[in-house]
Amino acid sequence: MRRSRLIVAVLLSLSLVAGANAQSSASAASSEYLIKAGFIYNFAQLVQWPSAAFSQADSPIVIGILGTDPFGTSIDRVVENKKLDGHNLVVKRLRWSRDLKDLTECNILFVSLSEREHISDVINMVKWLPILTIGETPGFAARGGIINLTLEDNKVRFEVNIGAAKQANLNISSRLLALAKIVPQGAEGKKSE
Amino acid sequence: MNLQNLSIKRKLMLITMLTSSAALVLSAVSFLIYDLISFRRQLSQDLMTQAEIIGLNSGAAMAFKDETAATATLSALKAKDDIVAAALYSPEGKLFAHYFQANKSLPSSLPSRSQQNFYRFEDGYLHVFQQVTMNGERVGTLHLLSDMRQWNTRAKRYTGILVIVVLICGSLALLLSSRLQKLISKPILHLEDTMRMVSSNKNYEIRASRFYGDEIGRLIDGFNTMLSEIQLRDSALQRANNELQTSTHELEVEIIHRKRTQDELLTAKQAAEQANRAKSAFLANMSHELRTPLNAIIGYSEMLEEEVQDTAKISNVRDLQKIQAAGKHLLVLINDVLDLSKIEAGKMQLHIESFDIAGMIEEMVTTLKPAIAKNANTFQLRIPEDISAMRGDVTKVRQILLNLLSNACKFTDHGSVWLDVDRVSAAGQDWIRFRVGDTGIGISTEQQENLFQEFTQADISISRKYGGTGLGLAISHRFVQLMKGRITVESAPGQGSVFTVHLPVQAAGEQAESMAPMKTASSGVSSEVKPDADTILVIDDDMAVRDLMSRSLTKLGFRVVAAASGEEGLRLAKQLRPLVITLDVIMPDWDGWTVLNKLKADSDLAEIPVIMVTIVDNEAMGRDLGASSYLIKPVDRERLVTLIEKHRAMRSSTVAKAGVPPANWPARNQKTSRKPEVVSPRRH
Repeated sequence: MRRSRLIVAVLLSLSLVAGANAQSSASAASSEYLIKAGFIYNFAQLVQWPSAAFSQADSPIVIGILGTDPFGTSIDRVVENKKLDGHNLVVKRLRWSRDLKDLTECNILFVSLSEREHISDVINMVKWLPILTIGETPGFAARGGIINLTLEDNKVRFEVNIGAAKQANLNISSRLLALAKIVPQGAEGKKSE
Repeated sequence: MNLQNLSIKRKLMLITMLTSSAALVLSAVSFLIYDLISFRRQLSQDLMTQAEIIGLNSGAAMAFKDETAATATLSALKAKDDIVAAALYSPEGKLFAHYFQANKSLPSSLPSRSQQNFYRFEDGYLHVFQQVTMNGERVGTLHLLSDMRQWNTRAKRYTGILVIVVLICGSLALLLSSRLQKLISKPILHLEDTMRMVSSNKNYEIRASRFYGDEIGRLIDGFNTMLSEIQLRDSALQRANNELQTSTHELEVEIIHRKRTQDELLTAKQAAEQANRAKSAFLANMSHELRTPLNAIIGYSEMLEEEVQDTAKISNVRDLQKIQAAGKHLLVLINDVLDLSKIEAGKMQLHIESFDIAGMIEEMVTTLKPAIAKNANTFQLRIPEDISAMRGDVTKVRQILLNLLSNACKFTDHGSVWLDVDRVSAAGQDWIRFRVGDTGIGISTEQQENLFQEFTQADISISRKYGGTGLGLAISHRFVQLMKGRITVESAPGQGSVFTVHLPVQAAGEQAESMAPMKTASSGVSSEVKPDADTILVIDDDMAVRDLMSRSLTKLGFRVVAAASGEEGLRLAKQLRPLVITLDVIMPDWDGWTVLNKLKADSDLAEIPVIMVTIVDNEAMGRDLGASSYLIKPVDRERLVTLIEKHRAMRSSTVAKAGVPPANWPARNQKTSRKPEVVSPRRH
């Protein structure tokens, strides 16, 4: 996984050298995040929040993006004009330590790669709250995150920590689970350490 | 095979089979079709449901573009044999995941852009398109392909079952119909059997038995009734036939009997005819033979009478006159019998020639004068000046008239007798009509019926009272018939009678007249010779005839030279050149015909008239050889004398006119004078 990221980095650096190639690499990177944005929307469909999670019946589902935003506008375009069970979808960009209060008011919290240093803090902070945590860092699910997006043969896959989901009082649809790699608490962390 | 000529039995079975099979097949096929259609619908519904489930199951995989999961979901279809292919397409229509069984595959892009869920049948496959959604959002399209295996299996199995059921039902129907058809066919077959038996054996006592009370039963009843009727009629016919046979047999016997009788009758008739012919021949011969002695009797009695008158022995004269009358009467009778036998033998011939009617009648009346005078009757003759000539047999015409006139004289006493002659036209022909009338006793209607029959007189008593053979009218009748004329009578008892004879002016048939012109010419030449004007040469081998002729003709002032043979006669004729030669036929050495031939062959002698005096009745021969007259013995002396006188007168007139005679007169006169004289006056 690291290698692939390296490849991406190399590609990125190469793209800086050659302008034409850089554009195609950029589009490849944005296509990955377009897919990830779609996944996030799909997760929202297959996860059931407790009714207490929303102050009102038509309160929006808030998607918080913590750290450097890798999506650009693609995620906004995906959720634009969509409604799930009467809820609109709203995207919020958050910073660690500065937006801590907003962080706990999200319904979906995407932890960007840039925040890998704070993963444990973030998880500890929200693990009892009905917040669907999504990461893209290896070992994120094993360390207590609910869903972790991975790359597998250049295809986006995901891992699910069912215990974490139960702790967050979130009901994940079996259809989602059928597609996910189930990760037990702590296993991945040890493995990835 | 012709359906219509099948037996009733087969027809019934066929009808039953066809009907039941048709019903069965129709219902089974309907059921099959209905079942297959509904099964197919059910199959499609099932497949749709299947598609819906798979769609639901693969919705998330599609949403997360998890190809492996989607393929795994589709792989679950392995359990379904009939689904041969399944494919998931992305919303853009690109093939996302697939499951292909065996060699079946699906296109890599979605053929239909439709957003609907639907199914369609194509090439024996069932296609189902199902939209894959996740939370109401379309995330792809599922395409399922089924080969409808269950449906095919079901169709095959059902068809098999149907065939088996039809076969079983058909056999059952065959079995049932073959047994049940007997209900109908058995009585009909029985009826047919009976009918065949009746017609082949001709036995009308057989009866068909009745099985049931249906229409066929009634038909059989009707048939039996008909048979009884036929039997009844048959026996009646048989009876009639038997009767007919009996009567036919009787008739045959009768016919045989009659045939035999007829044969006998025919034989008898032939015998009778033979006998009759023999009789006629005998009579004819006898008549000829009788004439010879009669010739002598009459001739000598006449001579004796003349000689005795000179000696004035009155009693002897009367006796001689009686002998003479009896002889003449006998001659008349013989002539009549001869004529009739000739007519009956069919030997009577006509000698047709032209003759002067007035002259013939004049001559005849002269002969008839004594008969008219006998009963003190008056006679009147009416004949037109321009009556001219007719063609016919003068001898027979004269005989007819003589018969009628002598009868008229005989049956009239102190009355009048008349003869009218005129010319009439009737039936497109010219006729000479002779009417002979009298004021005598007349004839009754009954008598008129048999008047012209042979041997029939008006009354038997008449024969006794008036004499005669009763043949005169019969002969006249036959003569008239021969000449194609007709004779009728009008009469009433006590009122006299009128006999009318019609004869054609031109009689049919042509008889020799060829000698006449030659004769005329030669007579002119001969006139230059001066023969002895009064010499008559008599050639006859019969001394009695020579003697009689000599004596009677000498008395009349002729010089008579007699010759006993033809040779002598010929010599004398050359020597004397006589006025007339009389010639007998039957002579020793040269007969009359030979002598006549020689006379006519000699140019010096050819013009001398020859009068044949003979008992041979062959006028035709005499005429052909050139005889000018023909007299049959016994000769009527007066007739002979008349003829000779005529020749003498002609000779002298020819001489006087120096061989230039009037153009027609000698010819006609010659003909008249040459007529063969067979007839003598008859008295009936």
